[in-house]
Amino acid sequence: MSIEATVARPPTRIAYFLGQNAGLVLALSMLAIAIIVYCAVYWFAQAALPGNFEITSTVNNTMPLVLAGMGQAFVVMSRGLDLSVGGVIDLSNALAAVELHGDVARMVGWSALVLLIGAALGLVNGLLVGIGRLQPILVTLATLSVYQGLAIRVLPQPGGSIPPAYTSALVNPNQPYALGFVLLVGLVWWAFRRSRTGVSIIALGNDEMAARANGVDTVRARVTAFALSGFMSAAAGLFLAATATAGDATTGNGYTLTSIVAVVLGGMNLFGGRGSGIGVIAGAFVTTMIVNILFFSNIDPLYQSFYEGVFLVAVVVLSALIGGLLRRR
Amino acid sequence: MPRASDISRSLDRLGLTRDRRRIVYAYLAAITLFVVGDIVHPGFARLDSVTAVLTVASFVGLVAVGQTFVVLVGGIDLSVPWVLNGAAILLVTTSLGRDSLSPYALLVTLGMGAAAGAVNGFAIAFLDVPAVVMTLAMDGIVEGLTLGLSGGMTCRACASYAPPVVQDAVHGSVFGVPAALILWFVVIVVVSFILSFTTFGRKAYAIGNNPLASYLAGVNVRLVTAFLYVLSGLFAALAGVLLVGFGGQASLGMGSPYLFQSIAAVVIGGVYMLGGRGHYLGVAAGAVTLVALVSVLLAMNMPDYGRNIIYGIVILLLLLLYGREEREE
Repeated sequence: MSIEATVARPPTRIAYFLGQNAGLVLALSMLAIAIIVYCAVYWFAQAALPGNFEITSTVNNTMPLVLAGMGQAFVVMSRGLDLSVGGVIDLSNALAAVELHGDVARMVGWSALVLLIGAALGLVNGLLVGIGRLQPILVTLATLSVYQGLAIRVLPQPGGSIPPAYTSALVNPNQPYALGFVLLVGLVWWAFRRSRTGVSIIALGNDEMAARANGVDTVRARVTAFALSGFMSAAAGLFLAATATAGDATTGNGYTLTSIVAVVLGGMNLFGGRGSGIGVIAGAFVTTMIVNILFFSNIDPLYQSFYEGVFLVAVVVLSALIGGLLRRR
Repeated sequence: MPRASDISRSLDRLGLTRDRRRIVYAYLAAITLFVVGDIVHPGFARLDSVTAVLTVASFVGLVAVGQTFVVLVGGIDLSVPWVLNGAAILLVTTSLGRDSLSPYALLVTLGMGAAAGAVNGFAIAFLDVPAVVMTLAMDGIVEGLTLGLSGGMTCRACASYAPPVVQDAVHGSVFGVPAALILWFVVIVVVSFILSFTTFGRKAYAIGNNPLASYLAGVNVRLVTAFLYVLSGLFAALAGVLLVGFGGQASLGMGSPYLFQSIAAVVIGGVYMLGGRGHYLGVAAGAVTLVALVSVLLAMNMPDYGRNIIYGIVILLLLLLYGREEREE
């Protein structure tokens, strides 16, 4: 038998890229399909294409999920799961509604402080998981309860207010300027992917023993992943408050689950080490687009979570099939 | 000074292996809470008060049966809240509060729970969908169907009461022991027996420890895993039936506390989240511990937020005391 027959032919560059980035490619194509379907149902309902207003509100409504999903992605990359995302969003949302008023300096200062508090809450999760050697799901389930409690302490009843200037800076209601923040989140991922910290977190998620054998400080990587998640969730809370122009200490709860949905739709492997944050951003947008599509298809909103659930399973099953096919070639 | 490893080795020799020690700790935690409760709120450890706590704990305990089964094979069931809630609503809407319709209603309700579990099990075991994603999606699917079919609980049948037969069965007592407690006791005995002394139970442990080795040893890994999810759905539905019998009427959101509580009970009970270790005897104590904790806090007139915070902190403390993983060297 000749040597050529035993060595597999190297795949073409495109086939290799598709095989390596199946999740990202699927997430982006899903987003493209979602946008096309959305335009179609919108056309049938309104006899026009979605305009500036629709684009702006879609981007603004998706921003919190983009941030929360990205936070979740950092932890998922390290082979963990952060269920406290909703609690951190609750708390930062509540703090924003209570404290954000006055002059620009005060607003900037408090925003920075809220982000720091979020990072600190994430740090607590990380220390309990990394140094306390506890299961991520359990730790974050318990801290979720604590953070939700703190949020209700800060803002017992929905209310408070967000100055219009703050809202228009973060989520401008007239123009889709928030796309700039989406770009920024993408850049954060790009930098993360290339940083020493990012590589060590991804190595940890891929194979903890191998990472440690190669000199990665796995405890530090794990703690950092959770702290980053807390930071991003706090940012999500700020954007949520800015969109709603008021606070509610319970609106963040849903984001624990939707952040996982965005990660999964983004083609990220839940068992760590594989996937792309760009895919997660696409996944967050797909999640919002589904709600929009259902709305314009005149589907009873009560059935919304039914369709979301079916869609989620269908995507996971299909992407496993397609990913398998791509890799086999 | 004796080293911790020496102590644990001598305890091992006495028959108290690490897994058994965890069960003992769970009971100690429950007893400690009753003692603390009696100090801060005299009369808390009186027989009638203990019975009341145990009765409420039985609902958590039943949901935790299913959760224990799936955690033993390294899975998790996040669909518990809406399967329970959907079951409660299905029972009142199919029975319309009439005894004559209750056998049919019970069959439909428990069948729904088993069916939801079967879909979970099929997708997880045969299509390799991650358990977190599948059961999360199932929670949404059942939620959407429940809300949609009941018109958001506005249907005329939704206001029906549970059939008197079911209500009497839950509220009844034999020699002063509430029926719900007797049922739970029977379940504890049966489940413990199944897990420890039947091939099915041993297969579950084997799969949790090493699916590949179990497969090579002739265990039908997929089928057993799928069946465990069926049982989880069934027990969630059973808890829904009992809860609606206990409270009389069904309501939206009645299932939501049970996800957190069932997972927490499993963990406090000493079951290893990654599967293969643990016992339902400990989980039962875990359920009692949780409910006793909530009752103590309620008796102290602790506000909502304080309860959330302390609840989370106590679970973290319990985890730190004995839920830690071994240090890998």
